[in-house]
Amino acid sequence: MEIVILFALTILPMLLPPDPAPGLSRSKERSRSMDCIRISAEEASAHYPGQVITSDGRGDYVERTAMICRQRLMRPGLRDARDEAVLNALDATTLNLATSAEARRPDLREHTWLVDAYYPNAKVGSKITFSTKNALMGLGLQVADRTLALNATEVEIIQRLHPDEAYPAACRRYAENGTLGKEDALLAVVSRDRRATVLHAGLCVDGVWAWIE
Amino acid sequence: MLLSLAAGLFATPAWAEKPIELAQRAEMDRVRAEVAGEIHLSAFDLVDELVYGWSSEPVFPEPTPVVLAGVSVPVGLGTGLQALIENHLSAVLGANPTSNVQLAHCPQCTAMVVHSGPEGTVVTRGIDNPRALADLGAATGQHALFVDIEAEGAWLVLRARITRLTPALPIVWSHTLSTSANTPALLREPKGLKSAAEAREEYIDALHGRGPIAVPLRVTIRSYKRPPPSNGGIGPPPFVWLQSGVEIATTDAHAWTTSIVAGFTWAPDTYQGVLGQVRINRLLTGRVRSRTKPNLHAFVGAAVITVWGPATQPFQENPITSDDILALADMSGPRFAFGAFHAGLDLRVGNRIGMSTFLEMIPHLAQSPNLGDYVRVGSIGFPAIGTEVTLWF
Repeated sequence: MEIVILFALTILPMLLPPDPAPGLSRSKERSRSMDCIRISAEEASAHYPGQVITSDGRGDYVERTAMICRQRLMRPGLRDARDEAVLNALDATTLNLATSAEARRPDLREHTWLVDAYYPNAKVGSKITFSTKNALMGLGLQVADRTLALNATEVEIIQRLHPDEAYPAACRRYAENGTLGKEDALLAVVSRDRRATVLHAGLCVDGVWAWIE
Repeated sequence: MLLSLAAGLFATPAWAEKPIELAQRAEMDRVRAEVAGEIHLSAFDLVDELVYGWSSEPVFPEPTPVVLAGVSVPVGLGTGLQALIENHLSAVLGANPTSNVQLAHCPQCTAMVVHSGPEGTVVTRGIDNPRALADLGAATGQHALFVDIEAEGAWLVLRARITRLTPALPIVWSHTLSTSANTPALLREPKGLKSAAEAREEYIDALHGRGPIAVPLRVTIRSYKRPPPSNGGIGPPPFVWLQSGVEIATTDAHAWTTSIVAGFTWAPDTYQGVLGQVRINRLLTGRVRSRTKPNLHAFVGAAVITVWGPATQPFQENPITSDDILALADMSGPRFAFGAFHAGLDLRVGNRIGMSTFLEMIPHLAQSPNLGDYVRVGSIGFPAIGTEVTLWF
């Protein structure tokens, strides 16, 4: 009998985990539809006055945190899982890429930055481009809306190359055909693997390609 | 161009990956409509915030034509939401000329154009090829506005940028705004946009003063027109009334209110009196009572007044005689009761204090030789004019 009680006590936290973890009373779907962050109790109290206890009046030596959960706007299944993952972190991802590019090449501050995204879904690609341009503008850089062009033959050739060669080749051609000028820098946001949600970035300056992330 | 390259490298059409049953597709459409319904007010809120930002800190020093180059909505939602947002943006910009952003019509800008030059033949949207736009006769040097709204987790994010339509296509302004799904939309009026802080303050004020019943405390001075000297020239003195009661609003908009008050007046050795008064007020400045700006009301009302004392003799219907004056020696004076109708204007500030003025007619004394008329409209004379200062609690 004692063994049964001990076993029950052992598995009880797994059956009834704290909100919003899934358990007996909460489905996995519900938990997956939430967007949660853990913040300090003091910060939570500032955002939700009266709802969060920061500490006992006399001090209780307990470090409290608060889990803030919000319902995701889009329902599961409405968008491709990979698109959903990329879009959910779009702002943070593009800001990170822009910051990395600017930090890696501080000598390009006076250049005009162009942005292009290579992503299978054109709609998502345009959103990545938009967000990256705004992130670069937020860093105080000059950004232009120009799009770079290759002719049909060049595209056909580059399509046949391995991605490791295709991007440098395209970069070189942009510089040679004049669409990427001496005072321009192209920040390309690239999805290299259709199974991955991580976005990579490359920088094309003077016909020279370099991966940033 | 490279998008198509990437698409060729990676993509296969979504419909080819997993066929979707008709019922599933219908369910997806239903969920899409549900999500669009949930977020469209938040999207409007972001658009309002965007235009409010332009009104507070204009991008352009003077009104500038801007082409709405594109509005994109969260991936997975349809063009219906896109049309709603475009219309809302146009409406808010039209209602806020101080933003200095004037939407311009440029069909060539958003159309696909084919442009042949030394570098080859390029097929693009007009907005991406200012040289082609110039060849088509469209005004160069205009600006293009791009707006993108995306659902990122629990956040709805609006990104906007303005590009100058010159060959270099420089981005001259960009901004990113976001709101969480749990944040209620501010539902701002297109005109007179407010910041979130101002809206919150107004909301709290509204909560404090939302009740449909208010208690006015009012000081009223009624002045009566003296009769012409040929009729003796003795009129009633000004009466100071202290009144209070209740004012009831029919709706939260407070467009129509009615008040019922009682009052008294007293001047030592001169007069005393009591009155009961009802009044209907109609808001003239807008459909909804403003919490921050003065509100002007028109009102009509009726009162039953009874006064007594030595100074109330002019309220008799007959001319005042020397016998009447001698009869006042005992200081008690006569007592009169009469009805009166009034109409006027009421200006309220902060819905706490107000000042009003009105004209009053006394049908019972319409032919009295002891009262003149301040205003006469046809056969109706207004022998009394009133001024009020009111505090509402």
